[in-house]
Amino acid sequence: MRRYERPIFSLLYRMMRDRALAEDLAQETFIKVLNGIKSYRPEFKFSSWIFKIANNAAIDHLRKRSVDTLSMDGAPDALAASALQLGDPGESPLQAVEARELGSAIERAIARLRPEYRACILLRHVEGYAYEEIAQMLDLPLGTVKTYIHRARNELRGLLEDRRA
Amino acid sequence: MTETHLQHLTPDEIELWAQGLLPAARAPHLAQCVDCLATAERERKLFLQLAQLERFGPSAGFVDRVMAQIRIATPSGGFNGR
Repeated sequence: MRRYERPIFSLLYRMMRDRALAEDLAQETFIKVLNGIKSYRPEFKFSSWIFKIANNAAIDHLRKRSVDTLSMDGAPDALAASALQLGDPGESPLQAVEARELGSAIERAIARLRPEYRACILLRHVEGYAYEEIAQMLDLPLGTVKTYIHRARNELRGLLEDRRA
Repeated sequence: MTETHLQHLTPDEIELWAQGLLPAARAPHLAQCVDCLATAERERKLFLQLAQLERFGPSAGFVDRVMAQIRIATPSGGFNGR
């Protein structure tokens, strides 16, 4: 459970942009996983199964709330002030500020994506899953996953370029 | 010059290039095509930025709260669920 705690919570937090709600959904995910462990089919990767349950919880909630692409104006501080993890101990204060600004800009751009694009891009480029695994997690055809990720990247690049303009 | 050599890189190939996995046969095109190289560099930068995003964690006591709701099977076939 420790291994998946942060990845699952991070995905849900970026999908919902509400810490308390993300925590409720993460809790719901782990309870379903642990109580339903007997229904796990070993032909699927365990990570695919747990992310699938988490993503379904997020999508179900978004559908119920009819939340789509909200602005980040009301985003939680932690997400809005997110910095990139550059991991450079020799980073100057200016570089640290730039990393924080860039991190915030990326979070805002991710928040503007359609939820299905957002889930795909987070699973691919933040969590590092293969396209085939993402297709399995999200119950989507492989071609659809590739299209969503390609479109999401184009949108993100456009949003980040607008910021610099 | 082969036909493959003239074709622009696909999004999949650009991703392979960013991972250092682009087939050698496609490398000459990238070396000569300014457009593909610019697109590939932009994509690589985005991949790096996304991979460096912060990982968030739930609040303290999260695991305990989850474990409090797990049903544990007993030898008699019942559950110790709370």
